[in-house]
Amino acid sequence: MLTLLLLAAGTASVSAQNIDLGSDAQRDAGKQMYELKCAHCHGADGAGDAAMSELLRPAPRNFTSSTFKFRTTGSGELPSDDDIKDSIRKGMPYTGMPPWPSLSEDEVTNLMYYIKTFSDDFAGVFGEVTPLEMPDPPSMSEESIIRGREVYIENSCADCHGEKGRGDGPSAPTLEDTWNYPIRAADLTKRWAFRGGSSRSDIFRTFTTGLDGSPMPSFDIQPPEDQWNLVDYVYSLSRDEADYGTMVVATTIAEPIDVNNAASVFDGIDPVLFAVVGQVIEPGRAFFPGVNGVEVRSVVSPSTISIMLQWNDMSAETTGIAGPGLGAPDRTADEDTSITYADAIAVQFPSGVSAGTGKPYFLFGDRKASADLWFADLSATQATHYTGKGSGDIQLDETRIEMSSSYSDGQWTVIMQRDREISGHAAFTEGTFVPISFSVWDGFNRERGNRRGITMWYSLYIDVAVKESPVVPMISYGFATLLLGLITTFLVRRKFGDKESA
Amino acid sequence: MNFIVIVSVAVVLFALRFAKLNALGWAVAWWVGVYICFRYGVVPPVPASIMSMYMFIVTLVLVAYVSAAHDRMKEVTDSLIAFFVNPKYKIALGLSLLLLPVLVAFQVYTGMTSQPQPPISGRTVHPPPPGNISFQGKQIDLLTVHNPYRDLADSDPQAFSAHVNAGRSIYYQNCVYCHGDNMEGDGMFAHGFDPIPANFQDPTTIAMLQESYLFWRIAKGAPGLPSESTPWFSAMPAWETFLSEEEIWDVILFLYDYTGQLPRASEEVH
Ligand code: HEC
Ligand code: HEC
Ligand code: HEC
Repeated sequence: MLTLLLLAAGTASVSAQNIDLGSDAQRDAGKQMYELKCAHCHGADGAGDAAMSELLRPAPRNFTSSTFKFRTTGSGELPSDDDIKDSIRKGMPYTGMPPWPSLSEDEVTNLMYYIKTFSDDFAGVFGEVTPLEMPDPPSMSEESIIRGREVYIENSCADCHGEKGRGDGPSAPTLEDTWNYPIRAADLTKRWAFRGGSSRSDIFRTFTTGLDGSPMPSFDIQPPEDQWNLVDYVYSLSRDEADYGTMVVATTIAEPIDVNNAASVFDGIDPVLFAVVGQVIEPGRAFFPGVNGVEVRSVVSPSTISIMLQWNDMSAETTGIAGPGLGAPDRTADEDTSITYADAIAVQFPSGVSAGTGKPYFLFGDRKASADLWFADLSATQATHYTGKGSGDIQLDETRIEMSSSYSDGQWTVIMQRDREISGHAAFTEGTFVPISFSVWDGFNRERGNRRGITMWYSLYIDVAVKESPVVPMISYGFATLLLGLITTFLVRRKFGDKESA
Repeated sequence: MNFIVIVSVAVVLFALRFAKLNALGWAVAWWVGVYICFRYGVVPPVPASIMSMYMFIVTLVLVAYVSAAHDRMKEVTDSLIAFFVNPKYKIALGLSLLLLPVLVAFQVYTGMTSQPQPPISGRTVHPPPPGNISFQGKQIDLLTVHNPYRDLADSDPQAFSAHVNAGRSIYYQNCVYCHGDNMEGDGMFAHGFDPIPANFQDPTTIAMLQESYLFWRIAKGAPGLPSESTPWFSAMPAWETFLSEEEIWDVILFLYDYTGQLPRASEEVH
C-alpha cells in the first residue's frame, strides 16, 4: 500500500518535474535488445542472473536496487542518463561487463530507458538528478604528487588500498559489497584495470562521488586543491597501460646468485609483465582468479639460471597447504572450509626442447611431451620440482630448485634458481628461446591445483655470454660493398664509357 | 590495416603517372610503394623475416615485368648505364658509392645489437577434421553426423527455441570468458591467450564451417588438434569433459542464432 502511494506520488511528480523515462517505443526497443544481449547476466527481471552471479566477481549488477557505481551524481543518488549510457558504452575493464562499442547511440539510449524501468526510484522523487560539476584538471606537478601522498594518508585511503596502493590495506581482506559478495579494494598501481576509467578526471569522479554498492566511499576533500593533489598521487602510482610482454631475456652474469641476497643483481633489470588469467579450461575452474599479472626478471650464469617473480596480492597466506595437483571442485561451493590454502607460484618449462617437434600442452604438459614445474609453496622455505604429463599426472621429483621468498606492502617476491644443465630436464642453451609459462595460486581465494591463475607459453631468451662486437663486421661488410660498387663502376665505364660519350 | 598509409601510397603511385618516369623509375617506385605498404600499412607489423621474403618476391615480379618486353628492358639498362657513365650523374654516383656501404654497415649494426625476436610459428586455423571421433564412449562419424535439433527450426519452433535457450545458458556459463559477450573473441580473459579466441561474428569462422566440424572442435578442443595447428598454444578447452552431446549441439545452435549466421551446408563440401 505504501509503495503504491509512493508510486502515485512519484508519478505525480514525474509530470511536474519532467523526468525523462523515454517513450513506450524506446523502452520496448530497449527491452528487446536487453533480452538479446544483457538478460543472461543481468536477469530477465533485472535482478541479476543467479547462475552468472556465481561465476563473475563483481557479480552482474542487480538493477532493481538502483545502485550504480559510476555516477557524476552525489553519493547515494541515482545516476544521470549519460552515466548509464557511458557505463554501457565503455564497459568495466577486467570484469564481466564488456564495452559495447558496436551498439548505436539510439540502441544505448533505449537500453538506458529500459534499465530504468527495473526500479521505481527512477520514476519517483529521486528521479531528477543534477550531475555534480566536474572541473577541468589543472596541470600535474611534482609538488602536487607529494602533497597528494599526504592527502592519501590523511583520508585513510591506505586502510583499504594499502601503503603503496597495491590494494592490500588492513581492511582489504574483510571487504564486501552491498550484495554481500567479497570485493577487493582496487590495486592503484594498475590504473588500466580501473572499472570507471583511468584518466585523472575519472579518478577525481571516483572518490568525489564514491562507488555506490561497493565499500569505496565518497570523500569531500578540502581545500579543493587537495582533491587534485590526491588525484595526481593516485595517478602517479601506475603507468598508463599494462604493456603485457611476450618475452623475457635472461641477462648474463658471471656467477650464480645467492637467492637470499639477490636484490642488487635484479635491480638494474626491467621486469616484464605477463598477463595472468583464470584457468577456465579444465575442471576446477577459476572464474575470478586473485592475481592478474606477474612481473618477471631473469639472469643466467655459466652454471645456473635464476628467475625472479613479483606479483601483487592483498594478503600473504603463508599457512595451509599448496600443490599443483590438489583437487579443486568445479563450480560447486567449497566443501571443507577448515582446510586453508597457502599462496604459491610455479614456473613451467618444457622438459625437453627438441627443435621441430611439438611443445607440451601449456597446462602442465601432456602425455607426449612433459613439462617441468618449479613450484614455490609459500608456506615452505624450499621449492619443489614436479614433472607434469597433464594436470592429472604430476610427479614430484628430486631436481633441486633453490628458492627465497618475501612479502611486503602487498607484493610477493620469489626467486628461484636451478642448475643450467640437468639431463632429462629443460636446457637453457645460450642464444635460444625457451618456452616459459606461469601459474599463480592465491590462497585467500582458496586456489589450489587447477583453480589458479595461468599464462600461456611465452619466451625466455637466454642471452649469449660473450657478445660479438659489431665493429669488425660493420667495417668489413661496408668495405666489401664499397669495393663492389667501385668494381661495377669501373667495369661498366670500361665497356660502355666510349659509346655513351660518343 | 592502416588505410591511411595504403591510400597515400596509391595516391602517390597514381600521381607519378603524370611525371614521365621511365621503366626503371616505375620499378623503383613500385618497389618502394609495396615496401611502405607492408612495413607501415599492416598492423600488427610484419616480422622482419617474412618482410624480406615478401620483398624478395616483389623484386622477382618487378624483374620479370621489366624483362618481359624488349624495349622496357632496354630502357632500364640504358638508364642504369647512363647513371654510371654520364658525367651528369657524377655527384649522385659518388654519393651512392659512399652511402651504400654506410647503409650496409648500419644494417649490420642493427642486426647484431637489436633484441632477438621470439620465433613465430604459423598455424593451420582450420585443419581437416578426423573422420570419426569417440565421444564419451560413443563413436561419432563426423562425415555423416548432423545437428539433430537443427530441423526443429521448421518442424517445432517452440522446441527449437528451447534448445537455443539451453545453448545460451551454456555459452554464458562456459564460453563467455574467452569468446566474449558479443562473440567477438574478446572476453575478459582473451588478452591472456594467443591464438586469440575465435571471433564468431567474423564470416570466416563458423559461417564457413559445418556443424559437425564445430562439434569436433568443441568436443575435443585444443588437445584434439593435429600438430600443424599447434595444440600446445590454443586455450580452447575440450568440452567433452564438461558437456553432454545434447549440450554441445545446443550451444552450436546458439552460436549461429546469436550471430545470425548459418552453418555451411554439407553438400558444399565435395
Ligand atoms: C557477461 C555478463 C554481462 C553482460 C552480457 C552484460 N553485463 Fe552489464 N554488468 C556485468 C557485470 C559483472 C557488472 C558489474 C561490474 C562492476 O560492478 O564493476 C555489470 C554492470 C552493469 C551496469 C552498471 C554500471 C554501474 O555504474 O554500476 C550497467 C548499466 C550494465 N551492466 C548494463 C549492461 C547492458 C545494457 C548490457 C547489454 C547490452 C550488459 N550490461 C551486459 C556483466 C554483464
Ligand atoms: C573502505 C575501503 C576503502 C577506502 C577507505 C577507500 N577505498 Fe577506494 N576502493 C575501495 C574498493 C573496494 C574499490 C573497488 C570497487 C570496485 O571494484 O567496484 C575501490 C576503488 C577505488 C578506485 C578505482 C575505481 C575504479 O574505477 O575501479 C580508486 C581510484 C580509489 N578506490 C581511490 C581511493 C582513494 C583516493 C581513497 C581515499 C580518498 C579511497 N579509494 C579510499 C575501497 C576503499
Ligand atoms: C579458455 C578460453 C576458451 C574458452 C573458455 C572457450 N574457447 Fe573456444 N576457442 C578458444 C581459442 C583460443 C580458440 C582459437 C584457437 C583454436 O582454434 O583452438 C577457440 C576456438 C573455438 C572454435 C573454433 C572456431 C573455428 O573457426 O575453428 C569453436 C567452435 C569454439 N572455440 C567454441 C567454443 C565454445 C562453444 C565454448 C564454450 C562451450 C568455447 N569455445 C570456450 C578459447 C576458448
